[in-house]
Amino acid sequence: MFSRFDVIVVGGGHAGTEAAAAAARMGARTLLITMNLEAIGRMSCNPAIGGIGKGHIVREIDACGGIMGRAADAAGIQFRMLNRRKGPAVWGPRAQSDRIEYAAFVRAALEEVPGLYMRADMVTALEVVGGRISGVRTRLGRTFHAGAVILTNGTFMNGLIHVGERQFGGGRMGERQSTGLTGQLQELGFESGRLKTGTPPRVDGRTIDYTAVKEQPGDEQPMPFSFMTDALTDDQMSCHLTWTNPQVHAVLRKGFERSPMFNGRIGGTGPRYCPSIEDKIDRFASRERHQLFLEPEGRRTTEVYVNGFSTSLPEDVQEEALRLIPGLEKVHMLRPGYAIEYDYFPPHQLRYSLETKNVRGLFFAGQINGTTGYEEAAAQGLIAGINAVRTLEGAAPVILRRSEAYIGVLIDDLIAKGTDEPYRMFTSRAEHRMLLRQDNADARLTPLAQRLGLVSEARCNRMQSRRDAVQLTIDRLSNHALSPESVNPYLRKVGTTPIVEPTKAIRLVRRPEVNFHDLLRAADVADQIVIPAPGMEPVEQLVETSVKYAGYVERQEEEARRMASMESREIPAGFDFATVNNISMEAREKLGKIQPETLGQASRISGVSPADIAVLMVLLRSYAPS
Amino acid sequence: MFAQDTIAAIATAPGLAALTIVRLSGPEARQVASKCFAGQDLTAVESHTANVGMWVGPGGDRIDQVVATVFLAPRTSTGEDVVEITCHGGDYVAALVLQSMIENGARLARPGEFTQRAFLSGKIDLAQAEAIADLIHSTSERAHRTSLAAYEGHYSEQLEKLRTAILELCALAELEIDFTDEDVEFVDRTELRELVKHALNQTDELLRSVRLGTVVREGIRVVIAGRPNAGKSTLLNSLSGRDRAIISEQPGTTRDVLEADAEFDGLRFRFTDTAGLRQSTDLIEQEGVRRAHDMIAKADIVVYVYDLVYGLTEEDLDALEETGEKATILVGNKTDLVRQHTGEGLLLSAKEGPEAVIPLVHELVKQAAEIFGNPDVSRTVMNARHKNHLKQAHEALLRAGAALDARKSPDIFSLDLHAAARELGMITGVITNETVLGAIFSRFCIGK
Repeated sequence: MFSRFDVIVVGGGHAGTEAAAAAARMGARTLLITMNLEAIGRMSCNPAIGGIGKGHIVREIDACGGIMGRAADAAGIQFRMLNRRKGPAVWGPRAQSDRIEYAAFVRAALEEVPGLYMRADMVTALEVVGGRISGVRTRLGRTFHAGAVILTNGTFMNGLIHVGERQFGGGRMGERQSTGLTGQLQELGFESGRLKTGTPPRVDGRTIDYTAVKEQPGDEQPMPFSFMTDALTDDQMSCHLTWTNPQVHAVLRKGFERSPMFNGRIGGTGPRYCPSIEDKIDRFASRERHQLFLEPEGRRTTEVYVNGFSTSLPEDVQEEALRLIPGLEKVHMLRPGYAIEYDYFPPHQLRYSLETKNVRGLFFAGQINGTTGYEEAAAQGLIAGINAVRTLEGAAPVILRRSEAYIGVLIDDLIAKGTDEPYRMFTSRAEHRMLLRQDNADARLTPLAQRLGLVSEARCNRMQSRRDAVQLTIDRLSNHALSPESVNPYLRKVGTTPIVEPTKAIRLVRRPEVNFHDLLRAADVADQIVIPAPGMEPVEQLVETSVKYAGYVERQEEEARRMASMESREIPAGFDFATVNNISMEAREKLGKIQPETLGQASRISGVSPADIAVLMVLLRSYAPS
Repeated sequence: MFAQDTIAAIATAPGLAALTIVRLSGPEARQVASKCFAGQDLTAVESHTANVGMWVGPGGDRIDQVVATVFLAPRTSTGEDVVEITCHGGDYVAALVLQSMIENGARLARPGEFTQRAFLSGKIDLAQAEAIADLIHSTSERAHRTSLAAYEGHYSEQLEKLRTAILELCALAELEIDFTDEDVEFVDRTELRELVKHALNQTDELLRSVRLGTVVREGIRVVIAGRPNAGKSTLLNSLSGRDRAIISEQPGTTRDVLEADAEFDGLRFRFTDTAGLRQSTDLIEQEGVRRAHDMIAKADIVVYVYDLVYGLTEEDLDALEETGEKATILVGNKTDLVRQHTGEGLLLSAKEGPEAVIPLVHELVKQAAEIFGNPDVSRTVMNARHKNHLKQAHEALLRAGAALDARKSPDIFSLDLHAAARELGMITGVITNETVLGAIFSRFCIGK
């Protein structure tokens, strides 16, 4: 085996696999080192990809030629477009995955990339020379050299698993933790922290009474994540809903004193939006029930994931409580829920490229940066992979703007604001939500990915023909007049004013009540107007979104431009925030720590108030570099 | 990095006065002062103490007996060490004191620099800094009181309430978008609409007080209108107690717009006399008439004067119609020329001087109170920048309300809610996405 590579990726999870694939696709000889090759692409927590905000990220990763979207489509057993009744900007594709299929797809996808090597081993130390990374050493005694190293250790670094009063080291249930790196990184000047996350019990589906729970089927017309997917399974599996009750809560409470969450054994901070069941009943004591989703883990297993019941209570308490839930009276628990604590490195220590400030050529991606979620991890992996190669080439890093991609929002949030709890994406984190739709991720990002050499020609062509089809259809809509006779019955039916003279179709599509597809069918002009496009998404949908939302999109574009002016007000390098004794202590500390490059970044740092920004503005105006 | 020098300036207004204050601020303030001060060692005295002593110029000449009040950082108006020298009144003495400070190392302050330092040291926020400028420039008693209130932060309190209301709205909209799959109760549209209305009431109230703020600062605009030779200029003179306008028997004497001020009941009124409203072939007079119409449109109150000798003519009635909804006081002038004192409106004889127009003054004060409400000083907004942001926030809320009425989806109406939050944030401090999420997590049980 070679011992010299361009890029080394440590970890084979969602961040590591995207990082390795991106780097290799850009032409770098890449080595992915993971403790267990069978665990590549493994879903540690729920068997699902996407959701609101997260689904947007998957589409963006896919638009850049990433793996996640295609894997989720191939392994998908149930597809739902969340928020479909709301505006298209906030539609969130989500899919249940067959856990085994998913990992198998990812592994196969990596094996397809030329120049990507894999190795089962554990990285125990980094080789750093003069503030620059030069390689890694492994437990098997090898040293591998590379100009760029990407750490994507997930929850493995000093991972500590808690189930009730029991605790033991581990990176996931049944897999050992990795050790050694944290200490070395601390010696290199990195600040580390502890975070916590949890996972619910898995149960045997054969012991669930499905007559007592509520079915939640997939969408009739499933939509894919990947712009390249042309077909999805026609045999979807259902999830099921059930609810806890006061009896369940009473049993859970009994276990509180033996819970590591309540007796102080867990020191790390958990995510507020993904609380354990004990947290929920403690914090929202007045609620009599909490919703649970029973999610199938795959086609060839009866294992079921009890979403909503994340817990680190003692196993006996978990089981007793589960059995008081309708449908689960006789349930057999396959694996108990557990909490896991792990090391992370507060992300203010990174540049926007995800390269660390302390060690040139060393990149961090994924949970190591304090995020949670497969999608958030994969997005960082992608960007770290790209920028690792860019650094080696001496090229400027790729930094996506907040108005350009959720990935840009994610990384800017991490670096400008840091995070005290595992960070998860929400659409409300994005101020330019109208621009960052899941349906236009390809138009937003594929051209850039093409320039970087990340995507196939087929993907570029597809993006182009989709974009052209939408534009051409809109042109035809603008030119084609519809007669009152042909459309008035439809217009009346949907409760909007009939027309008195032939009217351009586009004007009718702009009306909120009018559905583009139905209007064209009613007027029987669909064939003359709609230009078909490749892929599973109907062009009608894309056109309707463009037409109906044009005004809002323009408004947000204007806002994005305005914001860009703040972004362009640079703070001189080496600006010493500590000497600015006119702003709050907190702001001084945070600014000093994060060292924002522009006023825009500074303004987003938590603890930095508009008054502080006003002070900085005044100072920067009078600041003359000496 | 920043010049942290010591600045000095005369803090009181120029002119004859019993006392004058010369102020020093900066790290060397005490050292500068002590070099000229024969008395206690000012570098050793405790903070917030007044010390009597002799002010001695650099050449050793005794300038004045003064009181040196020493304030030590950070509990001072600028956040820096401050020394205030209270000397006897008169520009000459103060100038000598200031001169000696400068000779001993202080720098002459630029206009507004003391306020700037207070702002930079976080002693006051932007709203307060702006209020100070208004405080200094306040021209009437009520203006003074409103500026003072804004400075003391009452007005921030009112804004904080509005901010909370908007934050709640944003949180509810986002809840519906990002947590649609969660088992939480979403508020229905009617309730959301009510909340928007509630927030709108608050912006409305604040905005009305902006208007009052403008009025307090700039005076209430009263336009005196009427046909030529109805006695408008005479009325202006009587109201302002000055001979501001040239009066003649010749109709159309006032060809342009004349102004005069008066303060009644603590409120400043700005009276504008206009060219008589009539059809005219004289180009200059036509222009005057056009301006008169403009002024009427901008007025807070119109005083419409007619000549009792002719009574209310067709032209008068047309002109009155034009004032529309605007507060209008009808005045029948020249009671001295008619025997029977009957007619619509207030009847008076403007040419008999200020005493004769007292009933009109009462009416003006009454109307002003009606239009601008009972001016609750604490709610008064003073500043053009605030007004602009408030107005933008108000308009955004209006759009959000309209979007709700049109059953638009939350991603649409949230655009305007966020716009409102952003505008308000420019006055009260940013409402971040994180704040909104925080509000959601604290109130709703989120998470599978």
